[in-house]
Amino acid sequence: MPLPLKNKEVLKVDMANARDEVHQQLAEVYDPELDQPLTELGFIGGVDIAGDKVTVRFRLPTYWCAANFAYMMSSDIRERVSELPWVKQVDVLLQDHFHDEEINEGIKHGKTFLTAFPDATDSLDDLRETFRVKAFQARQERVLRWLIRKGIQEEAILRMRVGELEQLLKKRQVAKLVKRYLNIRQERGLPGDIGAEAFSHHDGTPIDPGGLQLLLNKASSTRLSMEFNTAFCSGLLKTRYGEDKQGLQNSALQKDKTKESTGVIDA
Amino acid sequence: MFRTKSGEEIFIIDGHLHNWDASPENVLNKYGQGFIDCFYAYHANLSPPEYVWDEATYAKYGADRMVKDVFGDGYVDMGIFQPTYLTDFYKNGFNTTEQNSELKNRHPDRFILNGAWDPRDGTKGLEYFESLVDNYGIKGVKLYTAEWKGESKGYKLTDPEAVRYLEKCVELGVTNIHVHKGPTIWPLNSDAFDVTDIDETATLFTDLTFIIEHCGLPRFDDFCWIAQQESNVWGGLAVVMPFIHTRPRYFAEVMANLLYWVGEDKLTFGSDYALWHPKWLVEKFIDFELPEDIKQEFGVDLTMEVKKKILGLNAAELYGIDIEAQKKKLENDGLALAA
Repeated sequence: MPLPLKNKEVLKVDMANARDEVHQQLAEVYDPELDQPLTELGFIGGVDIAGDKVTVRFRLPTYWCAANFAYMMSSDIRERVSELPWVKQVDVLLQDHFHDEEINEGIKHGKTFLTAFPDATDSLDDLRETFRVKAFQARQERVLRWLIRKGIQEEAILRMRVGELEQLLKKRQVAKLVKRYLNIRQERGLPGDIGAEAFSHHDGTPIDPGGLQLLLNKASSTRLSMEFNTAFCSGLLKTRYGEDKQGLQNSALQKDKTKESTGVIDA
Repeated sequence: MFRTKSGEEIFIIDGHLHNWDASPENVLNKYGQGFIDCFYAYHANLSPPEYVWDEATYAKYGADRMVKDVFGDGYVDMGIFQPTYLTDFYKNGFNTTEQNSELKNRHPDRFILNGAWDPRDGTKGLEYFESLVDNYGIKGVKLYTAEWKGESKGYKLTDPEAVRYLEKCVELGVTNIHVHKGPTIWPLNSDAFDVTDIDETATLFTDLTFIIEHCGLPRFDDFCWIAQQESNVWGGLAVVMPFIHTRPRYFAEVMANLLYWVGEDKLTFGSDYALWHPKWLVEKFIDFELPEDIKQEFGVDLTMEVKKKILGLNAAELYGIDIEAQKKKLENDGLALAA
């Protein structure tokens, strides 16, 4: 039997808003490896809403995409959508994947990855953390490169405060990059007061004077790995499922994303 | 042989070739079908439209077509067979050393034949590996750490059994260890594309060269870091190459990173035929230049001298090929198109 998600009052569901609300929740689910929302990647194949029950069809670029990442995303979809007060049941259906049955069963019954795959020996927590660190480095690097391109010197960059970064949210061409960076700082519990240092290593330790270039070079290969994989995955998904507009795949969002990925470089 | 507009000859070794059979008769189960479908998506997605085949041809193209594509149209002088057994997915295997040896016998100066082993085959596998060395004189192996075998879904080079096999490689002088790092799904709990086992293994076996096929993608950053620290870790450019067409800016950035971290002497060209056709890869690579800002930032350049190393000289070094002598042998075999 599926586990009940939580005890909820019966709420009247407004269908028009319901779809938007589910979409907004799904836009908060990220591919841990690519650090992009599933909705922008086209990984959401469709959403069905029947009363207080939501079914999300989830699809990946290849039959062989890693089971552990697939499990994380399925589990995150379920968690995010179930946050909506009117939702009583969430079914996540991963499709066309070599482990789809095991993953769908595991998620349906609220199992941990370890219970769903008894051969595995560790939970997914360490893996998730590894990729959040990579995401932090990549997001920070994009902001740093923008500042360098604007002619700001290393010393000045390393002296910058969170408050100054927040000012940049008003600049259209960099607002999205800064917002994403500030979000992950907050997520990682780094100081958010306006006087705090804007840039640091992922654990909050300061960047040594003169150490910016090495930090950038390292982060560059990480960010590149993500962008390269995103390009690869998007292309493979398109080859697999065509250019359909089914579900929540949104071409406008796609274009916007491409711009963001390359905008830093091409600006 | 590729001749530049100024008449310069560039000797090309394709470091990564297959002659596979994924025809319906050979597919064993849904995984075999899933595997070739995935390959086809790679092919269709990243090739220029005029180079995209139909799925039936792609499943089994045969020796004659391969020889014509690679050595006739594709400018390639020599190619390295990297066998991929996958006997849990395909009745007769996907492409095995024995199957590849038939073409090697037909064109002995064109092919370098590599073998393969799997540490999970135990002592029997070691004997099989020795027989490959005895029968074919192989100098390299292709390892597929993600391969399924019964209950097992893959292995790591640091596994004790794998270490035993690597010791045998040292003993037999099989020094080129090509490691495919791809969609490993075992162990399920660790990063599925983890390349960190290479780090420890390369330190342990300094007499061996580890060529990481596909440059660790999608763990490119981890790979760069390891290759920078370990002088015997190289990068094979199969799968990286086709981005030159679809995403030239990414390709430029990847090349700059590789030249910066890994170095121009440790990179080898590979088409991964029939995933991609070497003709367009070679043509585009010869014409490719790094954008000025990337050159500046990384302090590297992809000059014609560097390209020559990547396209052939580096692989020749690995496999002890005397290029001038080899050119003479190939002059009159009639496979290359007249320039």
